[in-house]
Amino acid sequence: MKALYIASTGMSAEERNVEVISNNIANMRTTGYKRQRAEFQDLLYQQMRRAGSQTSNQGNMIPAGLEIGSGVRTVATPRVMSQGSVSPTEKDLDIAIRGDGFFMIQMPDGRTGYTRDGSFERDATGQLVNSSGFVLQPGITIPDTAKSIAIAPNGTVEATLGTDAAPTQLGQLQLANFVNKAGLESVGDNLFVETAASGTPQIGLPNADSNGDLLQGYLEMSNVNSVTEIADLIAAQRAYEMNARVISGADEMMQSTSQMR
Amino acid sequence: MIENAQLISLSRQMALQRQMDVVANNMANVNTTGFKSEQMLFEQYDMPVARDRDFQGSDQPLAYVQDWATVHDLSGGDIIQTGNPLDVALNGDGFFSVQTSGGERYTKSGAFQISNTGQLVDLNGNPVLGQGGPFQFGPAEKDVAIAADGTVSTSAGIKGRLKLVEFAQPQALNREGDNLFSGGTPTPSTKTQAMQGSLEKSNVSGITQMAEMIRVTRSYESIAQLMSRQDEMRSAAIQRLGSVNA
Repeated sequence: MKALYIASTGMSAEERNVEVISNNIANMRTTGYKRQRAEFQDLLYQQMRRAGSQTSNQGNMIPAGLEIGSGVRTVATPRVMSQGSVSPTEKDLDIAIRGDGFFMIQMPDGRTGYTRDGSFERDATGQLVNSSGFVLQPGITIPDTAKSIAIAPNGTVEATLGTDAAPTQLGQLQLANFVNKAGLESVGDNLFVETAASGTPQIGLPNADSNGDLLQGYLEMSNVNSVTEIADLIAAQRAYEMNARVISGADEMMQSTSQMR
Repeated sequence: MIENAQLISLSRQMALQRQMDVVANNMANVNTTGFKSEQMLFEQYDMPVARDRDFQGSDQPLAYVQDWATVHDLSGGDIIQTGNPLDVALNGDGFFSVQTSGGERYTKSGAFQISNTGQLVDLNGNPVLGQGGPFQFGPAEKDVAIAADGTVSTSAGIKGRLKLVEFAQPQALNREGDNLFSGGTPTPSTKTQAMQGSLEKSNVSGITQMAEMIRVTRSYESIAQLMSRQDEMRSAAIQRLGSVNA
């Protein structure tokens, strides 16, 4: 009797599902967060009578097979890389990407992290850093005397230095893009790192190649839709309950077997 | 004759256990994208050898129960909007074709991804087939659009058309796991519509499966009871016939 084990695969898959949904809801207000979705697939089938096998010498065939499945598995939690809504913050170092592309962050372990979270600050030396203090790549240093920092849609950072009349160009921001964005590995802190599945980053300028443009004074919110998440949560919870009922049903059957004389 | 009653009950119990497995598998896949519910068919298996014509009246033939086939319930599942441009739902009888190492397979699950080499793949990395082979996207291409007839286009123009197939005898398809079906003779599907940004959910109805499960457990119980009664009958018969006073 496999029903017990089949139902337990169903329960553990729904448990995964609830974990993914709760992580989405927990990150509803996380800047640049991309929601995940649990995807399931059925497990192998035990073919007891294979469809298409012959039943007579006249070539008669079994029209439909007898197949007993063995449950479900969680196969992937791909991220939905759709654009989150942009919300105004009126802070001159908040940048939202409208379209494709990731900011590049130098992580302390030497790797490059990729993020959609564009809330930057200046560190003690004037370099642009993210909220964890990791340096933005390519590095842009804003001198103390800089006033009215302007970031153009194409990534050019300009500021008026001291008493200058004309603004000075301080550098240009770059964006990285991936063939398979859903293949990036999440490392927390709103950062992703490249994997063999994502492909190598294609570094380019904003508003050029296939990259989106930049919006100064805005932040990209998460793309979590609370209504869909709650609906998914209810569906997952009910599916969990029904699988639990199948386990008790299978248990009842085994009980009536063991009580047979 | 009493043994026969027990053997018949046993055949029913074995079939019911397998039916419970089918119900459990349907229930476990209640959230699996593109999953098609399974139903079990039973047939009566007449046992001619047990007939005995030496008695005065004609003897009753014995009818065992046998699970004969599982049929795919190919009705459409709920279509939900996901907003992901690489999610495609099919409205109609058609299946997507994917290329696996074991050959071409068919699926109703349209949760696709783009691989590191820029190919359109399913969640196991199997290339999704178009009418001219797999789809290849360049790194700079964006805005993947999939039209209702399955035409895939990007900023670089039309890339091809999804190979949507249907089957004259879909019941002859075998389930391979991983949401894939195999076998059958595919013919191009013209009436199936592709819907981008949506996914077809599993067509398992929780209520039907619950009701089915209750029916299975209850009939299993009543068969078990029947077998106990048979056993009591036999023990009574042995006691009475074996008694020295008889």
